Amino acid sequence: MIMPFLKGLATTLRMVFTKPITQQYPEERREMYPRWRGHPELTIDPDGRRRCVACTLCLVVCPSNAIKGIVPAEGPEHEKYPAAFVIDLQRCIFCGLCQEACPQAAIKLNNLYELAQYDKSLLILEIDRATQKESKLRTPDWL
Amino acid sequence: MVNLTIDGRAVQTKKGQTILEACDDLGIFVPRLCYHPALKPIGACRICVVEVKPGPPRPLPACATYVAEGQEVVTASPKLDVIRLELMKLVLINHALECPVCDKGGECELQDLTHAIGVPEVDLAAVKLPPNQDYESQLVERHPDRCVTCGRCIHICRDRVGAMAINFTLRGYFTELTSGAVPLDCEFCGSCIDICPVGALINKQFKYRSRAWEVTKTEMACPFCGGGCTYELHVKDGKVMRVFNGGDKVVLCGRGRFGWPVVEAPDRLKTPLIRQDGQLQEATWDEALDLVAAKFRQITEAAGLGAIYGVGSPRATNEANYLFQKFFRQGLGTNNLDNPGRYTYIRALQGLAAVFGPAQVSGVELDPSRPPAFTSPYPVTDDAKGKGFPFVLGKIDDLPKADVVLVVGADVTPELPPLGWALLEARERDAFKLIVANNRRTKFDRYADLSMRCQPGTERLLVAGIIKALLAAEVTPAIRASGVEEFKESLKKLTLKDVAKKTGVEEAAIKAAADLLAQALAPAIIFGAELLAQDKGQENALALADLFLLVGKPGAPGSALYPVAEKNNTRGVCEVGVLPDFGPGFAPVDKPGAALPEVLALLEKGDAAAPQSLYLLGGDLLRFAPNHKQVEKALKKVPFIVVQDAFLTETAKLAHVVLPVAVHAEQEGTFISSDGTLGYLPRALSANGVKPDCLIIHEIASRMGYSIPTGGPANIFKDLAKAMPLWAGLAPKGSEPRADFGKDLSGQLVPFDLDVSLPGRRPLTLLVGKSLQHSGSFTTHHPCGALTVTPRAELGMNPDDAQGLGLTEGDAAKVTSSQGEISVPITLNPDLPPGLVFLPEHFADPAANALTLNSNLVRVTISKG
Repeated sequence: MIMPFLKGLATTLRMVFTKPITQQYPEERREMYPRWRGHPELTIDPDGRRRCVACTLCLVVCPSNAIKGIVPAEGPEHEKYPAAFVIDLQRCIFCGLCQEACPQAAIKLNNLYELAQYDKSLLILEIDRATQKESKLRTPDWL
Repeated sequence: MVNLTIDGRAVQTKKGQTILEACDDLGIFVPRLCYHPALKPIGACRICVVEVKPGPPRPLPACATYVAEGQEVVTASPKLDVIRLELMKLVLINHALECPVCDKGGECELQDLTHAIGVPEVDLAAVKLPPNQDYESQLVERHPDRCVTCGRCIHICRDRVGAMAINFTLRGYFTELTSGAVPLDCEFCGSCIDICPVGALINKQFKYRSRAWEVTKTEMACPFCGGGCTYELHVKDGKVMRVFNGGDKVVLCGRGRFGWPVVEAPDRLKTPLIRQDGQLQEATWDEALDLVAAKFRQITEAAGLGAIYGVGSPRATNEANYLFQKFFRQGLGTNNLDNPGRYTYIRALQGLAAVFGPAQVSGVELDPSRPPAFTSPYPVTDDAKGKGFPFVLGKIDDLPKADVVLVVGADVTPELPPLGWALLEARERDAFKLIVANNRRTKFDRYADLSMRCQPGTERLLVAGIIKALLAAEVTPAIRASGVEEFKESLKKLTLKDVAKKTGVEEAAIKAAADLLAQALAPAIIFGAELLAQDKGQENALALADLFLLVGKPGAPGSALYPVAEKNNTRGVCEVGVLPDFGPGFAPVDKPGAALPEVLALLEKGDAAAPQSLYLLGGDLLRFAPNHKQVEKALKKVPFIVVQDAFLTETAKLAHVVLPVAVHAEQEGTFISSDGTLGYLPRALSANGVKPDCLIIHEIASRMGYSIPTGGPANIFKDLAKAMPLWAGLAPKGSEPRADFGKDLSGQLVPFDLDVSLPGRRPLTLLVGKSLQHSGSFTTHHPCGALTVTPRAELGMNPDDAQGLGLTEGDAAKVTSSQGEISVPITLNPDLPPGLVFLPEHFADPAANALTLNSNLVRVTISKG
């Protein structure tokens, strides 16, 4: 009769003295693995310039039309760059085809995964918000 | 037919085909890189190699090997695969792999071929060459590092365009495309861009604007000159990206390829304008159309139905012009209308009609079944016979079949580029002879077997000299000709010596020209708007019609007259009956109205019979009509002018109501080109608040209570084509070829005026003509590509003349004639003979017609200033 009770108590007591496995989200956030497919973002080169050359291959390959509004432009050294670029996180299915199609490694899925917003428009990233920034949530090795 | 075996399949092919062409017809794919159907075989890439038996013990290029009876051809074998793969590796060895930024990406033949052949990797290495990009040239950008040295661009430039502006330099692996000097100095036709299989030549207007697969393509007729070319308009998100001409015929001229941005010109009119308190003010469509209808009604009630005079437009579609004449003939019941072709093309038609008689068509009957849209309901049957002047006008496609071509008074390429391309094609035959008679050196003098340089304005006398020489040699006309004796009588006093003295052409040359024409089996005559715009343009056409009657062989393909109809629909506006004396299909009318020059003269005099109102369908009278001052004076006296135009032209500035119209890609319709083919214009862009001509005419007519057909251009065309047996068999270019009428031609030799004197005593002669890059005033609006190359009017002058006047390149010169004075920068041009100066007609400032009286030739004095 008492044995099951003691067994349960033992389990409880054991757990009291072990490290908890739950994470205190949002105070604590989970580190994603480097190959995690999070939000797509435009990468920058060591000089801080976008790698994207507005070839639109990502737009072509995107199965859910999450990438749109790429406006190509010509730079002072005849380079091609995007003057506008829109990533719609509402439509993104995080399949990663864009980063596979990109010939310049200019679009990558990062390790961000949060999509909850009070304002939908915040999920539509225009070029500046879609560009990679320093962030402690982004591990240095994901690229 | 030739019987042979391809890949074990017994096949029949046409004689004279190459193996590659035969394979294409049979649907057998042979990889190729340098071959293009628009060009003769180049044989540079060797990727199309096939094994041929009997033949040498090595593979042969399919593009340059002709089919032969009993041949056995193998197009795919392990041996060929190895050869092709190795060749591809050599092509790709240091190819700049810029596909993501290269505008050719997605339509690149090298990309396709790499996939087709399956090149896994390039395991060869070679020293990297400097990229040597050319960013400086206008309109064209060159990337030699992407070049595959196929040689297509060089061949099209040399053989089809005749510009010879680019070539290879160095040899082997170091071969590089060059123009001799950066930047390019050529005709800027851009044909090299569209024929380049890779992105070595790039269209600057298209650069980085869109990827090849993002555009919607619409095939349409070109809206500039009367050449009747068709091209693809590429549109993305409602904006034009480029003009592209792929397919079998790549050649287009610069205005066609780079002229489209007029559609986007910021100075386009967007809303109707109404004159209030002396100023043109913006108004709504209803206000403007109501005002026009009310005013028209008021004027006709007060001064009669003939008080409104209409001027049609050689730029507007057939449908718009047809509705326009219907508005006048059926609505108002007058024949008071004309079109600006009066100053050029109509003169040619009048001259030809005098010799070959009026247009008559017999043996065609209405087809009871419904024809496809924009197709004539009259099929051409075996007993269809055509008589009269329209049947001596030639087709450009037939011109290469002519064996002697006489070019008189025409700088062919600026006047009508397709005629020039046809001449280059004709030149490939050994028997072909070209005679060029111009007052200055033109591009085609270089290809001419006989080049005659006559004094400006004496072309008619030169023709008379040739006729005289022909008559002396007792040539018998191939066509029934009457009036020979009378005609001989009229030339009795003329001696070749006299002609030689006045024209400046040697007697021997005149005789040689006559000999060539007399012996020709299919002679053709080309004459330009430059000749027709002279004071006695009609006499010039008459002289040439007489000459053609003497030597022409209308039964032989290509033997015809080729007058230049300068704008896209100059011929169409005449054929659909925007003429005071002829209705649609050149049907004579009962009470002919007054011609445009007469009306302008009446207006200037303030005559009581002058119209009270002008209704101008486009047609910038102030810009194109000679004698700017008279026209301005006349227009200022008109109480009410309505102008339908896309721009606020000089004439529109004097109007009381201006109605903005849609231009080419924004409306549907058809054009008749200089050679009588029908060009179909589909709608590719939205009209953005402006309306097509047809709709405006219809709205004015219905507000005035007239019923004229509506239901869109297709419906109007149906109505129009029913009235035009002359158009029997006509269908849009690119569909079934138009069956030819049986020709029943006869003519009468009509004496013509031999007086070629140019009044005035000023030392220099000014010729107002056409520039290569422009078409009318349509291309002079920013950001049109034509303005990149020719941004302003420059007075061309012989370097010796300039030196005598103390002028150098770029100096401002004061040009004075009896009519006025203008100031214009000069450019030295050794092609012009001493004594002749040249000014393009397209620009508003300085206006060339401020100097002219009734001709495109005028005597002028030039001084520094």
